[in-house]
Amino acid sequence: MSPDSARRAENLGYTNVKVYHEGVQEWVKRNYLVLSTQYLKEAWIDKDIPHVLVDVRPAKDAEAGFIKGAVSLPAADVAASLAKFPPKDKKAPIMIYDQKGGDDAVKAAKALIAAGYAPVDIVSGGFDAWKAAGYPVQTGKLAENIVYVPKPRPGEISFDDFTKIAKNTPPDTLILDVRNRDEGNAGMIKGAMLIPDEEIMDRLAEIPKDKKIVTHCANGVRAEMAYHKLKDKGYNVQFLNAKVEIDKEGNFKIEKP
Amino acid sequence: MLRKWIPCLSAALILAIIASGQVSAQEKAPVAAPAAPQAKPTMAKICANCHQPQPSNIRGIFDNVSYKTQSIQIKIDEATEILKFDDKLKIANIQAPADSPDEPLRALKKGKEVRIEYTEKDGKKLATLISAKAPIKVAPEKQVKTEEMEKLVAQGPEKGKYMLIDARPLPRFQDGFIPTAVNIPFPAFDKMKDKLPADKAALIVYYCAGVT
Repeated sequence: MSPDSARRAENLGYTNVKVYHEGVQEWVKRNYLVLSTQYLKEAWIDKDIPHVLVDVRPAKDAEAGFIKGAVSLPAADVAASLAKFPPKDKKAPIMIYDQKGGDDAVKAAKALIAAGYAPVDIVSGGFDAWKAAGYPVQTGKLAENIVYVPKPRPGEISFDDFTKIAKNTPPDTLILDVRNRDEGNAGMIKGAMLIPDEEIMDRLAEIPKDKKIVTHCANGVRAEMAYHKLKDKGYNVQFLNAKVEIDKEGNFKIEKP
Repeated sequence: MLRKWIPCLSAALILAIIASGQVSAQEKAPVAAPAAPQAKPTMAKICANCHQPQPSNIRGIFDNVSYKTQSIQIKIDEATEILKFDDKLKIANIQAPADSPDEPLRALKKGKEVRIEYTEKDGKKLATLISAKAPIKVAPEKQVKTEEMEKLVAQGPEKGKYMLIDARPLPRFQDGFIPTAVNIPFPAFDKMKDKLPADKAALIVYYCAGVT
């Protein structure tokens, strides 16, 4: 998506357009990401998407007001408390906040990244920004133990179910490949239909309402967006939240995103 | 293509002028000249994002091929264009499928963006070259490495004089983004053009999920 955007910008006359090709995938190995309090609330907490939220302020500051679901772990203690975190291979998203989104959060984030955790996010503006936005605040004792239970996102199909369908698609089911044409041309799952995600709303007539639809893309993001569009239109739909590689013959490999 | 239309156009115009002259002479009322025939489009809208129309070239979406009748069908938005081809047809960026090495165009899937060069004789187009759109590759000098990215972010957009744009869809941006980035998902490029810097020489860095 970024090379396409860069090319479009050049066509508008921009003369110094570059692409950070390695992208988020490489960035998170050495650096933290950020997210706003609004995104933390709307994309994670309200949707009940599993994550680890760490309040790195001194315990007494945290107890005076904290964000729901946060675990208390002062910044200075993070490096010595790695055992409290879920195993690295679980790739649990870790969100960190301090009072103002400052040095304490950065220190805690760096300790985790140095130990190989990713992705690690810092909440911009910290607790002050959360409070200023008028979001709910809890008081009292915070949890001390991190509990992280991965669970499927709404609409997600299990790998086993998807594999069964992809190997032998029943007549009442359609696999909808929502990647772009170049990706589709490089290889598709046998029997799948290709409609790039951004074209779905214009091409609903081609998608049968009487079949169960299963969307997939290359990494689960577009598949999930397509899932929401189709669900809103009354389709019986699920999506595959996975990295998918398909060769020319239609052989496929799926793994966790 | 355009040049070919000129004789027809002028003929139509002359006829129109003669016709309107006669009518107005008899009835003394102005009559609009009949519309000149419209030239068929030579390029699909989606191709215009990156390409200019060229003479004797068509850019569109591959629809299908028939080796029996030696013809290729291309969609140019609403219009359909059918071109003949012969054994001299050149092919670029297309790898013949293993099961039909002699019919390489079978490798093209419906919906693939293609460019066709053709010659025209007696109003019939003969394709001389068909080239499929290759995946976009970013030249090394246009790439920013992680180390440079870290330096820029450490300086911030004002001191580092850059704009960092996350081209991923909003739901992924919401999960967390590289500090100082703004979100302009690729499909929303046109809608959000005004977010780009006013200075066309400003450094713009795009990123997405990464090489997958």
